[in-house]
Amino acid sequence: MSRTKILKTITLVAFAIIAVRLFFIQIIEHDKWVAKASDQHTLLETIVAKRGEIYMMNGSEPVQVVLNETVFSVIIDPAVTDKDRIITALNEHAKDQITADLDKVFSTEGLRYYIVAKNVSHSAATKIADQDIPGVWFQTNNQRAYPEGEFASGLLGFVNADGLGQYGVEGSLNKLLSGTNGLLKTTSDINNVALSIGDDNVKIPAEDGKDVVLSIDRGLEEKVEELAKATIANTAATNASVLVLKADTNEVLAMANLPNYNPGDYGNVKDESAYINYTTQNPYDPYEPASVCKSFAFSAAINEGVMTPETTYFNDHYDIVDERKIENAWKGSNVYGQINMKDALNWSLNTGSMQALRLLGGDAENINREGREKLYDYYYNRFRLGQKTGIELIEDAGSLIEPNANMYGLNAAYANMTFGQNLNVTMIQTITAFSAVVNGGFYRTPTILKGTIEDGKIVESNQEDRVEEQVLSSETSATMRDLLINNRSSKRSQGIDRKGYSVGGKSGTAQMIIGGAYDTTMEKTVGSYAGFVASEGGMPEYVIMVKLWNPKGAKLEGKDAGYLFDSISNFVIDYFKIKPGGV
Amino acid sequence: MRNQTYVSRRETTASFVRNRNTVRVSKRSLGSISQIVIVSMLTLVFGLIYVAEGTKATSFDYEISAVESEISDLSARRDELAVEKARLTSVAAAKNSTVAAAMEDATVTGYVAD
Repeated sequence: MSRTKILKTITLVAFAIIAVRLFFIQIIEHDKWVAKASDQHTLLETIVAKRGEIYMMNGSEPVQVVLNETVFSVIIDPAVTDKDRIITALNEHAKDQITADLDKVFSTEGLRYYIVAKNVSHSAATKIADQDIPGVWFQTNNQRAYPEGEFASGLLGFVNADGLGQYGVEGSLNKLLSGTNGLLKTTSDINNVALSIGDDNVKIPAEDGKDVVLSIDRGLEEKVEELAKATIANTAATNASVLVLKADTNEVLAMANLPNYNPGDYGNVKDESAYINYTTQNPYDPYEPASVCKSFAFSAAINEGVMTPETTYFNDHYDIVDERKIENAWKGSNVYGQINMKDALNWSLNTGSMQALRLLGGDAENINREGREKLYDYYYNRFRLGQKTGIELIEDAGSLIEPNANMYGLNAAYANMTFGQNLNVTMIQTITAFSAVVNGGFYRTPTILKGTIEDGKIVESNQEDRVEEQVLSSETSATMRDLLINNRSSKRSQGIDRKGYSVGGKSGTAQMIIGGAYDTTMEKTVGSYAGFVASEGGMPEYVIMVKLWNPKGAKLEGKDAGYLFDSISNFVIDYFKIKPGGV
Repeated sequence: MRNQTYVSRRETTASFVRNRNTVRVSKRSLGSISQIVIVSMLTLVFGLIYVAEGTKATSFDYEISAVESEISDLSARRDELAVEKARLTSVAAAKNSTVAAAMEDATVTGYVAD
């Protein structure tokens, strides 16, 4: 065979091999190689939606209390970066954000790409970048900014590292605040710059989250928190929760949970119970407002026409129900014997509220099924105790024993319910029900969401689902207002409640439940107080509720909560410039 | 009388044509090398036009990318300023102001037996 023929043969074989290989790549493995090529020059990015900001009201103007900010992590390559220059730059512009021992970083052999500073502001990062130090990179991070610090933390919640709202408003309104992420799929070059060439480029814009406006008044919230802190400092309480609502709409104007934490540094909170908004949730123990509930039992009996403030009964300081002795907290001789319901409420006598339950059943001597059913109807169906209120926050439903439950001691349980024990409700349920008692008899779903900001203006939130129902007659409500104002007559005589204003309220002291049973020593109690503020002779303008407690157990009574109520009610009068009446 | 023979114009022309050399005109064509060169040149020109257009589009993409980067930078700066403004107007800042320092502290209204 000649050399030419050999060369031809070799060439032919070589081309044949190439052809077979090309066939294999282009036909057999077509999809695999197309995908590989596509991966190399396709840029697929999520366009992150901007999280909505949170506003409170500052008078009639919305004011930002939660915002977004872009911060940077500074990354260096110790093998390349000029040690002296970067240390000088960081100390000069981001000293408080340095997260690493820089000497150690530079002395560690083989260390590459190390984060040396976090949460560096945009201006500081720009100044460092301007120095053009080799081997320095900046990683962008978006984070939530809470310029008010710890203020209203229990209400606001926080956003975790995954960008998800947790607890409070951030958790409850996460969907509204988050918006919807977009998508960018495009051909890119070697520098990862998106190119407009290509047939299957896709750009779905992100839909930013809504800026929400809370009905909370920032100035009031601040003052309420300040007063609650002072109460904690001066009593055995470690925790305090306060609610202030507008009585005619049930808009929440203040919602305080003390102690606070810094939502911007939520990871350093040692006890996660600090995250809870105790005005809408009771995740650890049932909440019993105690004698605050007497206003509900009394209003039920008055509304049914079976009782008036002048109705009398014999107070023996105790009653025996289902073989259980239920006593009054106050056993003074001044109230022993035949007394009326007005005095029974003034002295917060359990025997008085139990008598209201008997009267509801049509039998002044015994608690019966009819009485239980009527009380349940008022508590559960009308006042919606033990049901979620529908406020725009994470909330618990709680629970109420049904009137025909198959249990021994049902009458005793219901007797307890008249003075606010043997049930599990939330503060927001209680104050909403209390509002109905004093505002003319209207139950209204409480709300904390004023609206959203669109084009710089507040667009009112949809309130169609809100309940507005008259659950008591206006006459019953007026009678209850008089009873509750009368209950604070001593406060008025001492000048705590000022002339020209009608302030009514009811305290409650509940035994703590420890290990599923009541602490019988009465040394571990939870103090509550619910009341209202009105111009004298006028309708209530604001309803206020206070709760004081110590999870480890301390004696905190309704009167302790009442002191904080006094301070808040007087501040509310001045802050909202309530015009005095009757003077 | 002189005799003249009539010769038609056509005959004159024919004799004239008859006495001339004739040239056969054949169709001209390019050689194969020329064709390759021309096609290559055309391909090159079209290729250059395509590359020029492609580069032009890409340069716009780079411009867009630079503008987007600037927007992002300015947006970060705006956010930073908004946060700073919020901090300066926060309740905590107001409380620590010189005006607030001159004000009286809030006190609990008073205590009375329940």
